[in-house]
Amino acid sequence: MAMSKNVRQALGLTGHYSGLILFAIFTTFPFLWALASGLSADASKMYLFPDGFWPHDASFMWFERVFQEMPFLTYTKNSAIMSFFTIIGVVVVSVLAGYPLARMKFPGRGLIFVAIIATMMLPSEVGIVPNFITLKNFGDFGNWIQESLGLGSSWNMREWIGLNSYFGAIIPNFAGAFGIFLMKQAFEAIPQDLIDAARVDGATEMQILWKVMVPVTAPSIAALAIFTLVNAWNDYLWPSIVMNSKEKLPLAVGVFNDLTGPFATSDNILMAAIVMTVVPVLVFFAFTQRYFISGMDGAVK
Amino acid sequence: MASVTLKNIKKNYTKDVTVIKNVSLDIQDGEFVVFVGPSGCGKSTMLRMIAGLEDITAGELYIGDTLANDVHASKRGIAMVFQSYALYPHMSVAENMGFALKLAGTPKAEIEERVKKAAEILEITHLLERKPKALSGGQRQRVAIGRAIVRNPKVFLFDEPLSNLDAALRLNMRVELSKLHQELKTTMIYVTHDQVEAMTLADRIVVFHAGLIQQVGTPLDMYENPSNLFVAGFLGSPKMNLLEAEVIAASATEATVKLPKGLTVRAAVDASNAKVGDKVTMGVRSEHIRLVDAGTAEALPARVDLIEHLGDIVLAYIEIPGINQILCVKLPGHMTGLKYGDDIHILFPREETHLFDAEGLAFKRVR
Ligand SMILES: Nc1ncnc2c1ncn2[C@@H]1O[C@H](COP(=O)(O)OP(=O)(O)OP(=O)(O)O)[C@@H](O)[C@H]1O
Ligand SMILES: [Mg+2]
Repeated sequence: MAMSKNVRQALGLTGHYSGLILFAIFTTFPFLWALASGLSADASKMYLFPDGFWPHDASFMWFERVFQEMPFLTYTKNSAIMSFFTIIGVVVVSVLAGYPLARMKFPGRGLIFVAIIATMMLPSEVGIVPNFITLKNFGDFGNWIQESLGLGSSWNMREWIGLNSYFGAIIPNFAGAFGIFLMKQAFEAIPQDLIDAARVDGATEMQILWKVMVPVTAPSIAALAIFTLVNAWNDYLWPSIVMNSKEKLPLAVGVFNDLTGPFATSDNILMAAIVMTVVPVLVFFAFTQRYFISGMDGAVK
Repeated sequence: MASVTLKNIKKNYTKDVTVIKNVSLDIQDGEFVVFVGPSGCGKSTMLRMIAGLEDITAGELYIGDTLANDVHASKRGIAMVFQSYALYPHMSVAENMGFALKLAGTPKAEIEERVKKAAEILEITHLLERKPKALSGGQRQRVAIGRAIVRNPKVFLFDEPLSNLDAALRLNMRVELSKLHQELKTTMIYVTHDQVEAMTLADRIVVFHAGLIQQVGTPLDMYENPSNLFVAGFLGSPKMNLLEAEVIAASATEATVKLPKGLTVRAAVDASNAKVGDKVTMGVRSEHIRLVDAGTAEALPARVDLIEHLGDIVLAYIEIPGINQILCVKLPGHMTGLKYGDDIHILFPREETHLFDAEGLAFKRVR
C-alpha cells in the first residue's frame, strides 16, 4: 500500500512537472530561437530543426551590427518615453475612473460601467480613422495657437500634440476599459472599514484615494503597469501611422522598418534586435515583481 | 472631551425599513457608556451615526454643545475603533497611529512624541516599526486603540473591539480598557453583545432592542431591576428563569401567582395595579433559586435533568413536574452529590422573584 502511494505520488509529480516543462518550452521557444539565431555568426542553420535552437559559431556580431544598421538607442529612448507616459496616463485614468465606479453612488453608474465594458467589444482598429482625424485637428489647433501667439515656425507646435507627436502616438491608449475594470475590482475589494477609518482620522475624499486606496491597491496597479508596458512597448500599428519622422519612431516600428523588407541585411540581425527589444521589459518586470505579492494582509482581523 | 446628546434620532436605510426608531439619550462628559443588544438591533448603526459615517434620517445629535448632524466625520473630533481593526496595511504601526495627526498638519516631532506616549501606555513600543501583517490579533487591537488615543479625541467609539480575540486576551484587554478610561477620563461609547464586557466596563449600560432603547442604567441596577422582560432575559448568564403564571392575589407589597398544577409563588413587588386573573410572567435568576428540604413551606418539587460542573459552580437544569420548562439553578461548586433523575425541592425566594405584566413591563420590586 505504502509503495503504491509513493509510486502514485511520483507519477503525479512527474506528470505535473512534465506538463509545466512542456508549457514553459511552448511559451519560451520563440524567444530561445531568436536568441540562438542572434548569437549565430553562421546564418545557414537558422531554419533547421533542431539546430536552430542553439548558436552556431557563437558571437555578438549581429548585436553589434544592430547598432550600425539602425539608430537603436534613439528608438529605445522613444519607446521608453512613450511607454513611461502611457503607463502614467493609463494608471491615472484607471484609478480616477475606477474609484467612483466602485465606491460612489451616483445615478447612471451602472450604465456608464456597461458602456465602458462595451468598448472592449470593438476592435481597436475601429478607432484608427477617427483618431487620425482628431489628431490632425489637434495639430491644426496647435498651429493656430502658435500663429496667434506670433511664435516662429521653428516652434512647430503642430507636432507637439498633432500627428507625428509622442502625445498623439500614445493618447488613444490612455483610457482603456481593461484598466478601469481592473481598478474598479481592486477598489471594491477594499474593506469599507478601512475607508471609514481614514474618514474618521480626518482624511478628505481625495486624501483617502491617494493615501489609502492607491497604496493598498499597489499590486493591482503594478499588474496594470506591467500589462500597459507590454502593450505600449509592442504597439506597432498606431505609432507607425502617426509617426512619420524616423527620429521619433519607437522600437517596434523602427525594427520592422529598418531590418525587414526586400533590402534587409539578414534575418539574424533581426533576431538580435528583437532580443534586445524584449530585454528592457524583462528587467522592468524583475524589478516590479515584488509589488505583486504585498497586499491587504493585516488590514482587517 | 465632550458630552454626547441624542434627541429623537431615527435612521432608515431604505424608505420602509427603520433601523433606529426613536432614540434619545444623554451621555455625560467622561462617561463610559456601553450599548448592548442582540445582533442586528442597530448598535453599530447608532455608533456610525455618531461618528458621522451614516446620515441621520431624523433627530438631532449634539457633540458637546454643537449640533453635529451635518458635520463631516473628519471634523467631529471623534476616534473610532473598528471591530475589524481597519489598520492601514501599507503603513507601519507608528505611521498608522500618526496618520490622523499627519493629516491635521501636526509637526513631525510632536507626532513622534505623542505616538511614543500612546505606545507606552499600550506597551507596543517594540512594535512601532512593524507592518500590521506582522502583528498578532491582540497586538493589532492595541494598535487600533493606540491610533484612537494619539488624537486626544473628544469621544471614543468602540464597535465590538474585542470580539475577535480569544477569551484570555479579551479579559486582559477589558482590564486595559478600564484602566485606560480611568487614566484618560474621556467619554467612551462602547458597543458589544458580550454582557460580561457590558457589566464590567460600563458606568451606564444602554440596552437596545429592535431599534429602541429598552433601558438605561448602571450595571447593577439593570441586573437587579430590569424594567422589562427583554432586559431581564438579556442580562445575566445563565438567563433569568421565566415562567408563565396567573395572579391570584395582589397588593402594594406582594403578589401571589399561580403556576400550572396549583403551585403558588409569592413575589415581593408592588402589584397594586394588577388584578386577580391577570396573565403575568414570573422570573427568578438561577443563583437565587434555593434547594430546600421536602417539608419547607412553599417548597416546589422538581427533578434534575442535567448537571454541569463548571468547577467553581454547579449548574443544575431541573424540571417542575407539570410545567414543561427547564429551569437553571446555580449552586456552589461543592454540591457534587446531585445527579440525573434526583427528586429535589426548590424555593423561589419572595424577595428575589420578579414579576412582569402581560406587556412585559416589570412590577416594581419592594425591598
Ligand atoms: N448599509 C445598510 N443598508 C441596509 N440595511 C442595513 C445596512 N447596514 C445595516 N443594515 C441593517 O440595519 C440593522 C442594524 O444593523 P447594525 O449593523 O446596526 O446591527 P448591530 O446591532 O450592530 O448588530 P451586530 O451585533 O450583529 O453587529 C440590521 O438589520 C441590518 O441588516
Ligand atoms: Mg455591529
